[in-house]
Amino acid sequence: MEEEVIKIRELCCTYNTHIALEKVNLDVKKGEFIAVMGPNGGGKTTLLRAIAGMIKPLKGYVKVKGNISYMPQRENINFRIPVKVKDVVMMSIISKTKKFSIVSKIKNEEINSVYWALKVVDMDDYMNKPFTELSGGQQQRVLLARAIATNPDILLLDEPFNGVDLPTQEKIIKILKDLSKKGTTIITVVHNVSPLIHYISRIALLNKKLVAYGKPEEVLTPENTTKVYGIPIPTSVCEEGYIHPLFGDIHG
Amino acid sequence: MKKMLPPFIIRAVIAVFIISLNAAITGTFTVFRNVSFLVAGTAHAALAGAALAIVLEEFGFNMPILVGGIIFAVFAAVIASYASGRGKVGKQEDTNTAIAISFALSMSLAVLFISMVREYAARVWGLLIGDLFLLSYSDLKAMLIATLFVIFVTILFYRVFLYISFDVEAAIASGIKVDIYDYLLLSTIAISVVVIMGGVGAILVFAMFVAPSAIATRFSNSISRVFLLSFLISFASGLLGIALSFILPFSPGAIAGVVVSSTYFISAFVKR
Ligand SMILES: Nc1ncnc2c1ncn2[C@@H]1O[C@H](COP(=O)(O)OP(=O)(O)OP(=O)(O)O)[C@@H](O)[C@H]1O
Ligand SMILES: [Mg+2]
Repeated sequence: MEEEVIKIRELCCTYNTHIALEKVNLDVKKGEFIAVMGPNGGGKTTLLRAIAGMIKPLKGYVKVKGNISYMPQRENINFRIPVKVKDVVMMSIISKTKKFSIVSKIKNEEINSVYWALKVVDMDDYMNKPFTELSGGQQQRVLLARAIATNPDILLLDEPFNGVDLPTQEKIIKILKDLSKKGTTIITVVHNVSPLIHYISRIALLNKKLVAYGKPEEVLTPENTTKVYGIPIPTSVCEEGYIHPLFGDIHG
Repeated sequence: MKKMLPPFIIRAVIAVFIISLNAAITGTFTVFRNVSFLVAGTAHAALAGAALAIVLEEFGFNMPILVGGIIFAVFAAVIASYASGRGKVGKQEDTNTAIAISFALSMSLAVLFISMVREYAARVWGLLIGDLFLLSYSDLKAMLIATLFVIFVTILFYRVFLYISFDVEAAIASGIKVDIYDYLLLSTIAISVVVIMGGVGAILVFAMFVAPSAIATRFSNSISRVFLLSFLISFASGLLGIALSFILPFSPGAIAGVVVSSTYFISAFVKR
């Protein structure tokens, strides 16, 4: 039997008086690859924050087994600081080892994890470049490297394809696919699930409440998408039998 | 025979060196952590502390003015950090607003306390006024101790300060107690500001704690370069201030302030 690594029950989260999540129930099994979808303000980021333990639920609970790594939306970053790419990746390792002092020595294996993670995302040539001078897609890959450098059991990604060109998107998808095959549990927020559809196990459709959770073809029904986005999202079925939402037509 | 510089000039040069160390370290984190307004705000909060120290003196409770200033400045910095929710997840309130309000509060308290000790008001304002050429050795000693403290805290927590400045959200997610480290960082900045101000006066502190690092950040592609450039910019302006004060009828601090602030604005044009 596959074990559940994330168990969410009756989860309610609020910011001040604003309700962001209401009565969410959700289980994730080890090694699953989950896409979280929903409109802007639908509570996707809030769900990831709750899983990562960054916010306290008002009601309900989240139970997690294993280490979590979280790759936040890029807009939180302070782009004025000219920190080097390798130091960005090192940040996740430092927060784990608590080597906060500038004089505490970093082990070779820790440095190697940084190299390894940068190699995975194909950014090892940029190791000594300032992060702020990279393009948006390159930055996104470095942030992914930071998230995987600690070798997490559970990887939470918030719109990892935002501002990323298609080849880079393909690269990131391949990395996620490989990690998922090796048993990493992945939960990613995406607006366009189409490129991922062959690899994900389930979709969570979120609009304050969890509107639907299950296999893509069960979730992406006209009723569900209307409930969440206000209009039905047309879908088509590809040669391999997967359902693909056609996002190009809708906006806003 | 070698001509010795008069001691007051040597003291001024040492002070400029100490200020530049602070400008490089504290100033850089001030800019990185987006709390430029903290420097000016801290100065005002310190006034309330100084005034309170004098009020307490009336009741037979002796506390150095500088210590009163430090306590108030640290307190005001911490409540500003708390109120703006800087250590919390998600969209934060503009920190500089919280700082402005927190220091408006301490300014009001300062006025209240000063009105209670009217005849000593000059001593309170004295905290804001200083001159590079009027420094005593005990001023220098206090500045040096504060600077060593700043260096010590920065060495101990450098990486976590950088992380919370760079990406709060990820720092919180990885289990770092961002609020605690933010209090520590802001308090360290506040202490550095008050002590240096007690020696050389508010104007030089305002000028040296933000502008050099702001200029350096514009022209640096690595963090060590930001530190180094901030140090050099403030040290050079300080020395220039001292040198020019022999030709011009102005105080060295004011000249250095004009130099470094204009450099900031000129660098904005250059970078365009
Ligand atoms: N720090 C915060 N303070 C107050 N309200 C917040 C905060 N963060 C989010 N919210 C509100 O909570 C709701 C859910 O936000 P959340 O960021 O989880 O949505 P999202 O689905 O990730 O949206 P997006 O697609 O825009 O990223 C929104 O209405 C938002 O305005
Ligand atoms: Mg979001």
